[in-house]
Amino acid sequence: MVECYINAMSSADTAALDLKALIPDAALRRRMSRVVKMGVGAAMDVLNRFGGGARIDAVVTATGLGCLTDSEKFLRNMIENGEQLLNPTPFIQSTFNTVGAQVALLCKNHSYNMTYAHRGRSFECALLDAVMLIREGSARNVLLGAFDEMTPTLHRIWERMGFLRGIEGGECACFFVLSDERSEYTLARVSQPEFLSEGLTRQEMERGYGGENVRILWNEYAEYGLCPTASALTFRAGVDAVRAGADRAVIYNSFRGEDPAIMEVECV
Amino acid sequence: MRIAVAGAGIVSAIGIGVGQTLDSIRALRSGIGEVSLFPTVHRVPVGEVRMPNEALASLSGVTGGKPRSRTALLGMLAAREALRDAGVDPSGSLRVGLVSATSVGGMDLTEEFYREFMADDRKGRLRQVVSHDCADSTLKIAEYCGIGGFTTTLSTACSSAANAIMLGARLIRGGMLDCVVAGGTDALCRFTLNGFRSLMILDSQPCRPFDRSRAGLNLGEGAGYVVLMKEECCSRKPYGYLSGYANANDAFHQTASSADGEGAWLAMRGALNVAGLEPDSIGYVNVHGTGTPNNDASEARALSRLFGKRIPPFSSTKPFTGHTLAAAGGIEAVLSVIALQRGILYPNLRFAEPMDEGMIPCTEYREGVGLRHVMSNSFGFGGNCTTLIFSEG
Repeated sequence: MVECYINAMSSADTAALDLKALIPDAALRRRMSRVVKMGVGAAMDVLNRFGGGARIDAVVTATGLGCLTDSEKFLRNMIENGEQLLNPTPFIQSTFNTVGAQVALLCKNHSYNMTYAHRGRSFECALLDAVMLIREGSARNVLLGAFDEMTPTLHRIWERMGFLRGIEGGECACFFVLSDERSEYTLARVSQPEFLSEGLTRQEMERGYGGENVRILWNEYAEYGLCPTASALTFRAGVDAVRAGADRAVIYNSFRGEDPAIMEVECV
Repeated sequence: MRIAVAGAGIVSAIGIGVGQTLDSIRALRSGIGEVSLFPTVHRVPVGEVRMPNEALASLSGVTGGKPRSRTALLGMLAAREALRDAGVDPSGSLRVGLVSATSVGGMDLTEEFYREFMADDRKGRLRQVVSHDCADSTLKIAEYCGIGGFTTTLSTACSSAANAIMLGARLIRGGMLDCVVAGGTDALCRFTLNGFRSLMILDSQPCRPFDRSRAGLNLGEGAGYVVLMKEECCSRKPYGYLSGYANANDAFHQTASSADGEGAWLAMRGALNVAGLEPDSIGYVNVHGTGTPNNDASEARALSRLFGKRIPPFSSTKPFTGHTLAAAGGIEAVLSVIALQRGILYPNLRFAEPMDEGMIPCTEYREGVGLRHVMSNSFGFGGNCTTLIFSEG
């Protein structure tokens, strides 16, 4: 079977990205809402890390809730203006595939472009697609990533729903390049994620997946704040663990106790 | 491995179920009419499923309990029909999954919530906002149909459901599942109506795809699902096989299509390559054909580039259903497999005069035409272009 490697990934500090350099068109940048900028910026940064000239054959993104600020802005304008004279930009950008589409546009990339919006499993589903594309031979290099924003409205709604007891709200903008070929820049090998029908406790994970020099990352939402695509951040932490010397990292996520899934990376 | 299409389910402005849908098409009865579902200042024609949520719920047999968005209700009805049609019991020995697409999600209920929340953030019923995200309708459909296998949601605007069907086939080929219910669902709501209105691409008249006088699209709503199966798991004679699929990006503009139809051409060419077919083997194309001047010109250009002077019979079925956004690829996949099975060429309603590109779609209903391969196009915002090809056994 074709192996699948992680050949580039976002740094932990996406706030430090130089968005002006990554998205040089000022007018375009101004039109983008914060989450779109975060997502597109993180994607362009990873493409630079991977190597400017390298060909990307697929763009696969994941988002739990999409571009909330844009959706809310359009909704609010619609209500306040009595459905008249509405600015279409927030509506356009409220589409879930906005980040993937903007990346395609910026890079003039005509390849496969997919967006998963499946709550806490969005990133795992996108990872599955990326691994499948490589194994099918449909793509050699896949840009894979996740994004979600926290907004005052979401925070308030989650607070009222009781989601934020003992945890802060979180955000995500994190991208990777998966390739069929190992290079000097390869960070880790990745396997197809596993989707479970029943959740596992940390102890069960240790027993079933643990071992000598294996790092288990179990529901690390507290580390990143509650966010449907926080699993992308834990996945990056798993890659970091492997780079720091672990043989394998096994990453378990179950967003708010639902839809458990396991991702696994190993050292090359 | 061949991917059989074993079942089909459809809900749109022209009927609930395949039977009603075909009756409407044969009678040339369009589902386009006035907005009645919600108050709006806009007087534009739309394709509504003329049943309130309560009626949809009672038709599905669920009442009370959890809040269900209109998107979920429409999807439940179409997915159930598709499974019954295929004779598949998801609780049996097959590994059955669900890949569903939506772009609207539970926005209809969120609108209600947000009106109150805007004025006072302690107000607004939380039960109206829990179904906001795209995954909600998918999870409700899976629960309703008893689907316990891998379940996911795609959202790539108006090509979403076609992408769901493509993913369904890949999941079976990749060995993860034996059977996938794949398609999409979207309800009409004020948010999308105003969104398309703000883009100035809604026609104030019933839409006229590929006609010289076309002036925009009519929004619709509905759901369409097919049941894809590993050929050897099929218990009935399938409609046909999903032989080709491809997604490509136009990489031209966030909402507009390129003049040369590059994305559309790449998607059609890619699907032919996967199917191992040449353009002249396609017997009918169910075009995306929204009725906007831009889409139809771009799609016409792509069709000319691909087929040259020998363009196969083609039509847009959106004058019947309206543009059902993330459901369109599912609804049109269902229409395409029925066309393949029965040899139907659907009429492109309200076509009168060809546009400059000179293309003339099918204008009459015909049945019993021998069709071996049918192509279905779905294009969306963000340059997202998908083509599916269905082939006879």
